[in-house]
Amino acid sequence: MSSTTAMTALEAELAALIVGALQLEVTPEEIDPEAPLFGEGLGLDSIDALEMALAISRKYGFQLRSDDERNGRIFASLRSLAAHVEKNRVG
Amino acid sequence: MADIPFLNRAPGEILARRGARPVTAGEYLADVAALAARLPGAPYALNLCEDRYLALVAFGAALARGVVTLLSADRSPHRQRELLARYPGTIALADGVETVIPAVTAGAWGRGGGENFDLPEERVAAIGFTSGSTGEPAAHAKPWGALVAAARSAAARFGLDDPEDGATVIGTVPAQHMYGFETTVMLPLRAPVAVHSGPHFYPVEVAEALAAAPGRRVLVTTPLQLRALVAGGVSGASAVISATAPLSPALAAEAEARLGAPVLEIYGATEMGSIASRRTIKGEGWTLYDGVALRAEGGEEAAALVPGLPGPVPLSDLVEIGADGRFRLIGRRGDMVKRGGKRASLAGLNRVLTEIEGVQDGVFIAPEDLEANPAARLAALVVAPGRTPAEIVAALRERVEAVFLPRPVVLVERLPRNAVGKITRRSLEALRDTLADGRDG
Repeated sequence: MSSTTAMTALEAELAALIVGALQLEVTPEEIDPEAPLFGEGLGLDSIDALEMALAISRKYGFQLRSDDERNGRIFASLRSLAAHVEKNRVG
Repeated sequence: MADIPFLNRAPGEILARRGARPVTAGEYLADVAALAARLPGAPYALNLCEDRYLALVAFGAALARGVVTLLSADRSPHRQRELLARYPGTIALADGVETVIPAVTAGAWGRGGGENFDLPEERVAAIGFTSGSTGEPAAHAKPWGALVAAARSAAARFGLDDPEDGATVIGTVPAQHMYGFETTVMLPLRAPVAVHSGPHFYPVEVAEALAAAPGRRVLVTTPLQLRALVAGGVSGASAVISATAPLSPALAAEAEARLGAPVLEIYGATEMGSIASRRTIKGEGWTLYDGVALRAEGGEEAAALVPGLPGPVPLSDLVEIGADGRFRLIGRRGDMVKRGGKRASLAGLNRVLTEIEGVQDGVFIAPEDLEANPAARLAALVVAPGRTPAEIVAALRERVEAVFLPRPVVLVERLPRNAVGKITRRSLEALRDTLADGRDG
Protein backbone atom coordinates (compact mmCIF):
# COMPACT_ATOMS: atom_id res chain seq x y z
CA MET A 1 0.00 0.00 0.00
CA SER A 2 0.96 3.64 -0.05
CA SER A 3 2.44 3.88 3.43
CA THR A 4 6.15 4.03 3.66
CA THR A 5 6.35 2.90 7.27
CA ALA A 6 5.65 -0.54 8.69
CA MET A 7 3.10 -1.10 11.44
CA THR A 8 4.18 -1.39 15.05
CA ALA A 9 3.01 -4.40 17.06
CA LEU A 10 0.23 -2.37 18.69
CA GLU A 11 -0.90 -0.94 15.37
CA ALA A 12 -1.12 -4.45 13.91
CA GLU A 13 -3.08 -5.61 16.95
CA LEU A 14 -5.48 -2.65 16.65
CA ALA A 15 -5.87 -3.19 12.90
CA ALA A 16 -6.90 -6.79 13.56
CA LEU A 17 -9.30 -5.63 16.29
CA ILE A 18 -10.95 -3.07 13.97
CA VAL A 19 -11.23 -5.44 11.02
CA GLY A 20 -12.75 -8.10 13.30
CA ALA A 21 -15.15 -5.81 15.18
CA LEU A 22 -16.39 -4.04 12.05
CA GLN A 23 -16.19 -7.01 9.69
CA LEU A 24 -14.25 -4.94 7.20
CA GLU A 25 -13.49 -6.25 3.75
CA VAL A 26 -9.77 -5.59 4.06
CA THR A 27 -7.10 -7.56 5.84
CA PRO A 28 -5.41 -5.85 8.81
CA GLU A 29 -2.17 -5.67 6.80
CA GLU A 30 -3.91 -3.67 4.08
CA ILE A 31 -4.77 -0.78 6.40
CA ASP A 32 -2.53 2.17 5.78
CA PRO A 33 -1.44 3.22 9.30
CA GLU A 34 -1.38 6.86 8.25
CA ALA A 35 -4.67 7.05 6.32
CA PRO A 36 -7.80 8.55 7.94
CA LEU A 37 -10.13 5.97 9.49
CA PHE A 38 -13.29 7.97 8.74
CA GLY A 39 -14.52 9.61 5.56
CA GLU A 40 -11.70 9.11 3.08
CA GLY A 41 -9.44 6.16 3.73
CA LEU A 42 -11.28 3.33 5.45
CA GLY A 43 -14.61 5.15 5.21
CA LEU A 44 -15.91 4.34 8.69
CA ASP A 45 -19.09 5.98 10.02
CA SER A 46 -20.45 6.95 13.43
CA ILE A 47 -21.97 3.52 14.03
CA ASP A 48 -18.51 2.08 13.47
CA ALA A 49 -17.10 4.57 15.98
CA LEU A 50 -19.39 3.20 18.67
CA GLU A 51 -18.46 -0.40 17.85
CA MET A 52 -14.80 0.50 17.93
CA ALA A 53 -15.20 2.23 21.29
CA LEU A 54 -16.76 -0.94 22.74
CA ALA A 55 -14.06 -3.20 21.35
CA ILE A 56 -11.32 -0.90 22.61
CA SER A 57 -12.80 -0.57 26.09
CA ARG A 58 -13.06 -4.37 26.37
CA LYS A 59 -9.53 -5.02 25.25
CA TYR A 60 -7.64 -2.07 26.70
CA GLY A 61 -9.76 -1.18 29.73
CA PHE A 62 -10.42 2.51 29.04
CA GLN A 63 -13.25 4.51 27.49
CA LEU A 64 -13.24 6.73 24.43
CA ARG A 65 -14.77 10.20 24.70
CA SER A 66 -16.12 12.55 22.10
CA ASP A 67 -14.17 15.57 23.19
CA ASP A 68 -14.26 16.90 19.62
CA GLU A 69 -10.80 18.21 19.03
CA ARG A 70 -9.06 15.29 20.63
CA ASN A 71 -11.30 12.73 18.94
CA GLY A 72 -10.58 14.19 15.57
CA ARG A 73 -6.97 13.46 16.29
CA ILE A 74 -7.60 9.98 17.71
CA PHE A 75 -9.37 8.79 14.58
CA ALA A 76 -7.08 10.68 12.21
CA SER A 77 -5.31 7.38 11.50
CA LEU A 78 -4.54 3.95 12.87
CA ARG A 79 -1.25 5.44 14.05
CA SER A 80 -2.89 8.20 16.09
CA LEU A 81 -5.40 5.75 17.53
CA ALA A 82 -2.55 3.45 18.56
CA ALA A 83 -0.76 6.36 20.24
CA HIS A 84 -3.94 7.18 22.17
CA VAL A 85 -4.38 3.54 23.23
CA GLU A 86 -0.73 3.34 24.31
CA LYS A 87 -1.18 6.40 26.52
CA ASN A 88 -4.49 5.37 28.10
CA ARG A 89 -4.49 1.59 28.26
CA VAL A 90 -4.99 0.05 31.66
CA GLY A 91 -2.73 -2.80 32.71
CA MET B 1 -55.02 31.51 13.37
CA ALA B 2 -53.75 31.79 16.92
CA ASP B 3 -50.43 32.89 18.28
CA ILE B 4 -48.50 30.55 20.58
CA PRO B 5 -45.76 31.81 22.91
CA PHE B 6 -42.24 30.71 22.01
CA LEU B 7 -41.42 29.62 25.55
CA ASN B 8 -43.81 27.93 27.97
CA ARG B 9 -41.57 28.04 31.05
CA ALA B 10 -41.43 30.23 34.15
CA PRO B 11 -38.25 32.40 34.22
CA GLY B 12 -36.77 30.61 37.24
CA GLU B 13 -37.27 27.04 35.97
CA ILE B 14 -34.23 25.08 34.88
CA LEU B 15 -34.32 24.62 31.12
CA ALA B 16 -30.88 23.13 30.48
CA ARG B 17 -27.76 21.79 32.17
CA ARG B 18 -24.38 22.66 30.78
CA GLY B 19 -22.19 20.17 32.60
CA ALA B 20 -22.98 20.78 36.26
CA ARG B 21 -24.30 24.31 35.65
CA PRO B 22 -28.07 24.76 35.47
CA VAL B 23 -29.45 27.32 33.01
CA THR B 24 -32.81 28.91 33.83
CA ALA B 25 -35.50 29.78 31.30
CA GLY B 26 -34.77 33.46 31.99
CA GLU B 27 -31.07 33.03 31.25
CA TYR B 28 -31.98 31.14 28.08
CA LEU B 29 -34.18 34.00 26.85
CA ALA B 30 -31.27 36.40 27.44
CA ASP B 31 -28.96 34.13 25.41
CA VAL B 32 -31.57 33.93 22.62
CA ALA B 33 -31.91 37.72 22.52
CA ALA B 34 -28.13 38.23 22.49
CA LEU B 35 -27.61 35.85 19.55
CA ALA B 36 -30.68 37.19 17.72
CA ALA B 37 -29.16 40.67 17.89
CA ARG B 38 -26.05 39.39 16.11
CA LEU B 39 -27.87 37.67 13.26
CA PRO B 40 -27.78 39.31 9.88
CA GLY B 41 -31.08 39.37 7.97
CA ALA B 42 -31.45 35.95 6.33
CA PRO B 43 -34.35 33.78 5.20
CA TYR B 44 -32.87 30.52 6.50
CA ALA B 45 -30.46 29.44 9.23
CA LEU B 46 -28.71 26.09 9.04
CA ASN B 47 -28.35 24.94 12.67
CA LEU B 48 -25.01 23.11 12.87
CA CYS B 49 -24.45 23.37 16.64
CA GLU B 50 -23.11 20.22 18.26
CA ASP B 51 -23.57 21.55 21.80
CA ARG B 52 -27.23 20.87 22.49
CA TYR B 53 -27.74 24.03 24.51
CA LEU B 54 -26.26 26.17 21.75
CA ALA B 55 -28.50 24.37 19.23
CA LEU B 56 -31.40 25.42 21.45
CA VAL B 57 -30.17 29.04 21.61
CA ALA B 58 -29.63 29.12 17.83
CA PHE B 59 -33.13 27.80 17.15
CA GLY B 60 -34.65 30.41 19.49
CA ALA B 61 -32.61 33.25 17.98
CA ALA B 62 -33.70 32.25 14.48
CA LEU B 63 -37.36 32.16 15.55
CA ALA B 64 -37.03 35.55 17.26
CA ARG B 65 -35.83 37.03 13.97
CA GLY B 66 -38.41 35.26 11.78
CA VAL B 67 -35.71 33.01 10.27
CA VAL B 68 -36.58 29.43 9.27
CA THR B 69 -34.24 26.81 10.77
CA LEU B 70 -32.86 24.12 8.47
CA LEU B 71 -32.27 20.85 10.33
CA SER B 72 -29.53 18.60 8.99
CA ALA B 73 -27.64 16.12 11.13
CA ASP B 74 -25.19 15.85 8.22
CA ARG B 75 -22.75 18.73 8.80
CA SER B 76 -20.44 17.93 5.90
CA PRO B 77 -19.18 20.73 3.61
CA HIS B 78 -20.95 19.00 0.73
CA ARG B 79 -24.30 19.15 2.53
CA GLN B 80 -23.78 22.79 3.57
CA ARG B 81 -23.18 23.83 -0.07
CA GLU B 82 -26.14 21.76 -1.26
CA LEU B 83 -28.50 23.46 1.22
CA LEU B 84 -27.18 26.93 0.38
CA ALA B 85 -27.80 26.25 -3.32
CA ARG B 86 -31.33 25.12 -2.58
CA TYR B 87 -32.08 27.86 -0.02
CA PRO B 88 -30.28 31.01 -1.24
CA GLY B 89 -29.31 33.41 1.51
CA THR B 90 -28.90 30.67 4.12
CA ILE B 91 -26.50 31.38 6.96
CA ALA B 92 -25.01 28.71 9.20
CA LEU B 93 -25.21 28.95 12.99
CA ALA B 94 -22.24 26.94 14.20
CA ASP B 95 -20.26 26.27 17.36
CA GLY B 96 -16.96 24.96 16.08
CA VAL B 97 -17.71 22.68 13.16
CA GLU B 98 -16.02 23.66 9.89
CA THR B 99 -18.31 25.91 7.81
CA VAL B 100 -18.05 26.54 4.08
CA ILE B 101 -21.06 28.88 3.77
CA PRO B 102 -21.63 32.30 5.43
CA ALA B 103 -21.76 31.59 9.16
CA VAL B 104 -22.38 33.17 12.55
CA THR B 105 -20.80 31.67 15.64
CA ALA B 106 -23.41 30.58 18.15
CA GLY B 107 -22.72 31.31 21.80
CA ALA B 108 -24.39 31.96 25.13
CA TRP B 109 -23.76 35.70 25.36
CA GLY B 110 -26.81 36.77 27.33
CA ARG B 111 -26.28 39.44 30.00
CA GLY B 112 -29.81 39.77 31.33
CA GLY B 113 -32.84 40.95 29.40
CA GLY B 114 -34.56 38.90 26.74
CA GLU B 115 -38.31 38.72 26.37
CA ASN B 116 -40.60 35.85 25.48
CA PHE B 117 -42.45 36.36 22.18
CA ASP B 118 -45.46 35.01 20.30
CA LEU B 119 -45.40 33.07 17.03
CA PRO B 120 -48.29 32.41 14.65
CA GLU B 121 -49.10 28.68 14.78
CA GLU B 122 -48.91 28.33 10.99
CA ARG B 123 -45.43 29.91 10.76
CA VAL B 124 -42.86 27.43 9.41
CA ALA B 125 -40.33 27.19 12.23
CA ALA B 126 -38.07 24.47 10.85
CA ILE B 127 -37.51 22.29 7.80
CA GLY B 128 -36.39 18.67 8.19
CA PHE B 129 -35.03 16.48 5.44
CA THR B 130 -35.35 12.87 4.35
CA SER B 131 -33.77 11.00 1.49
CA GLY B 132 -36.45 11.04 -1.17
CA SER B 133 -37.20 8.06 -3.38
CA THR B 134 -34.95 9.48 -6.07
CA GLY B 135 -32.02 9.90 -3.68
CA GLU B 136 -32.37 13.70 -3.55
CA PRO B 137 -33.26 15.03 -0.08
CA ALA B 138 -36.97 15.81 0.34
CA ALA B 139 -37.90 18.82 2.51
CA HIS B 140 -40.57 18.70 5.22
CA ALA B 141 -41.76 22.04 6.62
CA LYS B 142 -42.71 22.11 10.29
CA PRO B 143 -45.29 24.73 11.32
CA TRP B 144 -44.78 26.05 14.85
CA GLY B 145 -48.22 24.77 15.89
CA ALA B 146 -47.34 21.20 14.84
CA LEU B 147 -44.07 21.24 16.78
CA VAL B 148 -45.82 22.58 19.88
CA ALA B 149 -48.64 20.00 19.66
CA ALA B 150 -46.13 17.13 19.31
CA ALA B 151 -44.10 18.35 22.30
CA ARG B 152 -47.24 18.64 24.41
CA SER B 153 -48.34 15.10 23.45
CA ALA B 154 -44.92 13.64 24.19
CA ALA B 155 -44.75 15.35 27.59
CA ALA B 156 -48.16 13.93 28.51
CA ARG B 157 -47.38 10.46 27.17
CA PHE B 158 -44.07 10.15 29.02
CA GLY B 159 -45.19 11.81 32.25
CA LEU B 160 -42.90 14.81 31.77
CA ASP B 161 -45.53 17.47 32.39
CA ASP B 162 -45.24 17.66 36.17
CA PRO B 163 -43.32 20.79 37.28
CA GLU B 164 -42.58 19.15 40.65
CA ASP B 165 -40.65 16.42 38.89
CA GLY B 166 -37.78 18.44 37.42
CA ALA B 167 -36.69 15.69 35.04
CA THR B 168 -33.41 15.93 33.13
CA VAL B 169 -33.29 14.74 29.51
CA ILE B 170 -30.01 13.20 28.36
CA GLY B 171 -29.94 12.65 24.60
CA THR B 172 -27.54 10.69 22.43
CA VAL B 173 -29.32 11.76 19.24
CA PRO B 174 -28.26 14.91 17.32
CA ALA B 175 -30.49 17.93 18.01
CA GLN B 176 -30.84 18.28 14.22
CA HIS B 177 -32.35 14.84 13.65
CA MET B 178 -36.17 15.21 13.83
CA TYR B 179 -36.46 12.77 16.74
CA GLY B 180 -33.63 14.49 18.61
CA PHE B 181 -35.08 17.90 17.77
CA GLU B 182 -38.51 17.01 19.17
CA THR B 183 -37.19 15.41 22.36
CA THR B 184 -34.23 17.63 23.23
CA VAL B 185 -35.07 21.03 21.69
CA MET B 186 -38.87 21.34 21.54
CA LEU B 187 -39.53 19.46 24.79
CA PRO B 188 -37.59 21.79 27.12
CA LEU B 189 -39.29 24.80 25.47
CA ARG B 190 -42.75 23.42 26.24
CA ALA B 191 -42.49 21.06 29.23
CA PRO B 192 -40.87 21.29 32.69
CA VAL B 193 -37.69 19.38 31.84
CA ALA B 194 -34.02 20.35 31.66
CA VAL B 195 -31.97 19.15 28.72
CA HIS B 196 -28.32 18.22 29.17
CA SER B 197 -26.00 19.94 26.69
CA GLY B 198 -23.73 16.92 26.12
CA PRO B 199 -21.74 15.55 24.43
CA HIS B 200 -23.29 12.13 24.96
CA PHE B 201 -22.03 9.79 22.28
CA TYR B 202 -19.80 7.26 24.02
CA PRO B 203 -21.11 5.16 26.93
CA VAL B 204 -18.86 6.80 29.54
CA GLU B 205 -20.27 10.25 28.71
CA VAL B 206 -23.84 9.04 29.15
CA ALA B 207 -22.91 7.27 32.41
CA GLU B 208 -21.41 10.47 33.83
CA ALA B 209 -24.41 12.59 32.83
CA LEU B 210 -26.79 10.08 34.40
CA ALA B 211 -24.78 10.02 37.61
CA ALA B 212 -24.57 13.81 37.87
CA ALA B 213 -28.18 14.78 37.10
CA PRO B 214 -30.49 15.32 40.08
CA GLY B 215 -34.06 13.99 40.05
CA ARG B 216 -35.55 11.91 37.25
CA ARG B 217 -33.23 11.12 34.38
CA VAL B 218 -34.71 10.38 30.98
CA LEU B 219 -32.33 8.87 28.47
CA VAL B 220 -33.25 9.60 24.84
CA THR B 221 -31.43 7.22 22.53
CA THR B 222 -31.53 4.73 19.63
CA PRO B 223 -31.38 0.92 19.49
CA LEU B 224 -27.75 1.00 18.33
CA GLN B 225 -26.70 3.35 21.12
CA LEU B 226 -28.76 1.48 23.69
CA ARG B 227 -27.02 -1.75 22.80
CA ALA B 228 -23.64 -0.06 23.33
CA LEU B 229 -24.82 1.48 26.63
CA VAL B 230 -26.01 -1.89 27.94
CA ALA B 231 -22.77 -3.56 26.86
CA GLY B 232 -20.85 -0.71 28.51
CA GLY B 233 -22.58 -1.31 31.85
CA VAL B 234 -24.30 2.09 31.97
CA SER B 235 -27.01 2.41 34.63
CA GLY B 236 -28.98 4.99 36.59
CA ALA B 237 -31.71 6.11 34.18
CA SER B 238 -35.28 6.59 35.41
CA ALA B 239 -36.71 5.98 31.94
CA VAL B 240 -35.31 5.21 28.51
CA ILE B 241 -36.86 6.42 25.26
CA SER B 242 -35.68 4.86 22.01
CA ALA B 243 -36.54 5.61 18.38
CA THR B 244 -35.30 5.55 14.76
CA ALA B 245 -35.66 1.75 14.40
CA PRO B 246 -37.72 -0.91 16.16
CA LEU B 247 -36.03 -2.19 19.30
CA SER B 248 -35.74 -5.94 19.60
CA PRO B 249 -37.76 -7.30 22.56
CA ALA B 250 -34.64 -9.12 23.80
CA LEU B 251 -32.58 -5.91 23.92
CA ALA B 252 -35.47 -4.03 25.52
CA ALA B 253 -35.78 -6.68 28.26
CA GLU B 254 -32.04 -6.70 28.88
CA ALA B 255 -31.93 -2.89 29.00
CA GLU B 256 -34.82 -2.79 31.46
CA ALA B 257 -33.04 -5.29 33.70
CA ARG B 258 -29.63 -3.62 33.53
CA LEU B 259 -30.80 -0.03 33.77
CA GLY B 260 -33.64 -0.75 36.17
CA ALA B 261 -35.92 1.53 34.16
CA PRO B 262 -38.80 1.16 31.72
CA VAL B 263 -37.73 1.19 28.08
CA LEU B 264 -40.20 3.06 25.89
CA GLU B 265 -40.20 3.51 22.15
CA ILE B 266 -41.41 6.32 19.92
CA TYR B 267 -42.72 5.72 16.42
CA GLY B 268 -42.42 8.57 13.98
CA ALA B 269 -40.72 9.93 10.89
CA THR B 270 -39.22 13.24 9.84
CA GLU B 271 -42.20 14.11 7.64
CA MET B 272 -44.83 13.60 10.36
CA GLY B 273 -42.89 13.80 13.63
CA SER B 274 -43.53 11.41 16.52
CA ILE B 275 -47.02 9.93 16.45
CA ALA B 276 -47.08 6.88 18.76
CA SER B 277 -45.29 5.03 21.52
CA ARG B 278 -45.07 1.66 23.22
CA ARG B 279 -43.28 -0.10 26.05
CA THR B 280 -41.44 -2.76 24.07
CA ILE B 281 -41.66 -5.59 26.61
CA LYS B 282 -45.43 -5.14 26.85
CA GLY B 283 -46.05 -6.11 23.22
CA GLU B 284 -45.58 -4.88 19.69
CA GLY B 285 -48.68 -2.68 19.44
CA TRP B 286 -48.18 1.10 19.17
CA THR B 287 -50.51 3.57 20.91
CA LEU B 288 -51.11 6.81 19.02
CA TYR B 289 -50.40 10.17 20.67
CA ASP B 290 -53.45 12.15 21.69
CA GLY B 291 -54.88 14.03 18.72
CA VAL B 292 -53.18 11.84 16.09
CA ALA B 293 -55.28 9.55 13.88
CA LEU B 294 -54.34 6.87 11.38
CA ARG B 295 -56.27 6.54 8.15
CA ALA B 296 -56.12 3.24 6.26
CA GLU B 297 -55.37 3.82 2.59
CA GLY B 298 -56.13 0.39 1.24
CA GLY B 299 -54.16 -2.80 1.81
CA GLU B 300 -51.58 -2.29 4.49
CA GLU B 301 -50.84 1.33 3.65
CA ALA B 302 -51.88 4.13 5.97
CA ALA B 303 -51.53 7.87 6.46
CA ALA B 304 -51.30 9.85 9.68
CA LEU B 305 -53.46 12.88 10.48
CA VAL B 306 -51.26 15.00 12.71
CA PRO B 307 -52.31 18.16 14.61
CA GLY B 308 -50.81 21.23 12.98
CA LEU B 309 -49.84 19.56 9.69
CA PRO B 310 -51.88 20.59 6.65
CA GLY B 311 -52.59 17.15 5.15
CA PRO B 312 -52.39 13.41 5.84
CA VAL B 313 -48.83 12.04 5.86
CA PRO B 314 -48.25 8.58 4.30
CA LEU B 315 -46.39 6.15 6.56
CA SER B 316 -43.26 4.57 5.12
CA ASP B 317 -44.13 1.37 6.99
CA LEU B 318 -46.91 -1.04 6.20
CA VAL B 319 -49.22 -1.39 9.19
CA GLU B 320 -52.02 -3.47 10.57
CA ILE B 321 -54.52 -1.38 12.52
CA GLY B 322 -56.20 -3.24 15.39
CA ALA B 323 -59.76 -2.88 16.59
CA ASP B 324 -58.46 -1.01 19.66
CA GLY B 325 -56.82 1.64 17.46
CA ARG B 326 -53.32 0.38 18.19
CA PHE B 327 -51.21 -0.63 15.22
CA ARG B 328 -48.45 -3.09 14.34
CA LEU B 329 -45.63 -2.62 11.84
CA ILE B 330 -45.52 -5.40 9.30
CA GLY B 331 -42.96 -4.26 6.76
CA ARG B 332 -41.57 -1.32 4.89
CA ARG B 333 -43.39 0.34 2.04
CA GLY B 334 -41.64 0.38 -1.32
CA ASP B 335 -37.92 -0.20 -1.37
CA MET B 336 -36.83 2.02 1.49
CA VAL B 337 -34.05 0.84 3.78
CA LYS B 338 -33.12 2.35 7.11
CA ARG B 339 -29.81 2.48 8.96
CA GLY B 340 -28.49 4.71 11.72
CA GLY B 341 -31.73 6.73 11.76
CA LYS B 342 -31.47 7.52 8.06
CA ARG B 343 -33.59 6.29 5.19
CA ALA B 344 -32.69 5.69 1.59
CA SER B 345 -34.36 4.17 -1.41
CA LEU B 346 -32.59 1.15 -2.90
CA ALA B 347 -33.65 2.31 -6.36
CA GLY B 348 -32.12 5.73 -5.65
CA LEU B 349 -28.89 4.14 -4.42
CA ASN B 350 -28.77 1.85 -7.46
CA ARG B 351 -29.15 4.85 -9.73
CA VAL B 352 -26.24 6.64 -8.05
CA LEU B 353 -24.16 3.46 -8.33
CA THR B 354 -24.79 2.94 -12.02
CA GLU B 355 -24.05 6.59 -12.81
CA ILE B 356 -20.46 6.16 -11.67
CA GLU B 357 -18.01 6.30 -14.55
CA GLY B 358 -16.88 2.82 -15.55
CA VAL B 359 -19.80 1.07 -13.80
CA GLN B 360 -21.82 -0.88 -16.37
CA ASP B 361 -24.32 -2.39 -13.97
CA GLY B 362 -24.77 -2.63 -10.24
CA VAL B 363 -27.21 -3.34 -7.47
CA PHE B 364 -27.34 -2.68 -3.74
CA ILE B 365 -28.32 -5.61 -1.53
CA ALA B 366 -29.87 -5.14 1.92
CA PRO B 367 -29.45 -7.93 4.49
CA GLU B 368 -32.59 -8.93 6.34
CA ASP B 369 -31.20 -7.81 9.72
CA LEU B 370 -30.11 -4.34 8.51
CA GLU B 371 -32.03 -2.43 11.18
CA ALA B 372 -31.52 -4.76 14.12
CA ASN B 373 -27.85 -5.63 13.75
CA PRO B 374 -25.27 -2.84 14.01
CA ALA B 375 -22.74 -4.97 12.15
CA ALA B 376 -25.11 -5.40 9.20
CA ARG B 377 -24.58 -3.12 6.20
CA LEU B 378 -25.65 -2.81 2.62
CA ALA B 379 -23.56 -4.66 0.08
CA ALA B 380 -23.22 -4.00 -3.63
CA LEU B 381 -22.65 -6.21 -6.63
CA VAL B 382 -21.02 -4.27 -9.42
CA VAL B 383 -20.05 -4.88 -13.02
CA ALA B 384 -17.14 -2.52 -13.64
CA PRO B 385 -14.25 -3.95 -15.64
CA GLY B 386 -11.01 -2.22 -14.77
CA ARG B 387 -12.27 -0.52 -11.63
CA THR B 388 -11.56 -1.56 -8.04
CA PRO B 389 -14.03 -1.77 -5.13
CA ALA B 390 -12.08 1.00 -3.39
CA GLU B 391 -12.57 3.33 -6.40
CA ILE B 392 -16.27 2.60 -6.47
CA VAL B 393 -16.67 3.31 -2.76
CA ALA B 394 -14.71 6.53 -3.17
CA ALA B 395 -17.06 7.65 -5.96
CA LEU B 396 -20.13 6.71 -3.92
CA ARG B 397 -18.86 8.60 -0.90
CA GLU B 398 -19.44 11.91 -2.66
CA ARG B 399 -23.14 11.26 -3.11
CA VAL B 400 -24.21 8.67 -0.54
CA GLU B 401 -24.34 9.03 3.25
CA ALA B 402 -21.65 7.04 5.06
CA VAL B 403 -24.13 4.68 6.75
CA PHE B 404 -25.28 3.47 3.32
CA LEU B 405 -21.84 2.91 1.82
CA PRO B 406 -21.72 -0.75 0.75
CA ARG B 407 -19.46 -3.18 2.55
CA PRO B 408 -18.47 -5.33 0.70
CA VAL B 409 -18.43 -4.21 -2.90
CA VAL B 410 -18.19 -7.41 -4.93
CA LEU B 411 -17.11 -7.17 -8.56
CA VAL B 412 -18.95 -9.61 -10.79
CA GLU B 413 -18.98 -10.30 -14.52
CA ARG B 414 -22.71 -9.76 -14.83
CA LEU B 415 -25.87 -9.53 -12.76
CA PRO B 416 -28.62 -12.15 -13.00
CA ARG B 417 -31.05 -10.08 -15.05
CA ASN B 418 -33.98 -11.82 -16.67
CA ALA B 419 -35.30 -11.46 -20.24
CA VAL B 420 -36.84 -8.05 -19.52
CA GLY B 421 -33.72 -6.82 -17.76
CA LYS B 422 -35.03 -7.10 -14.22
CA ILE B 423 -33.36 -8.79 -11.30
CA THR B 424 -36.10 -10.92 -9.77
CA ARG B 425 -36.79 -10.93 -6.08
CA ARG B 426 -35.76 -14.58 -6.02
CA SER B 427 -32.34 -14.00 -7.54
CA LEU B 428 -31.81 -11.00 -5.24
CA GLU B 429 -32.57 -13.21 -2.25
CA ALA B 430 -30.15 -15.84 -3.54
CA LEU B 431 -27.44 -13.18 -3.91
CA ARG B 432 -28.18 -11.89 -0.43
CA ASP B 433 -27.87 -15.37 1.05
CA THR B 434 -24.55 -15.94 -0.72
CA LEU B 435 -23.21 -12.66 0.69
CA ALA B 436 -24.53 -13.49 4.17
CA ASP B 437 -22.78 -16.87 4.12
CA GLY B 438 -19.54 -15.13 3.24
CA ARG B 439 -20.03 -12.69 6.11
CA ASP B 440 -20.72 -15.30 8.75
CA GLY B 441 -18.07 -17.74 7.60
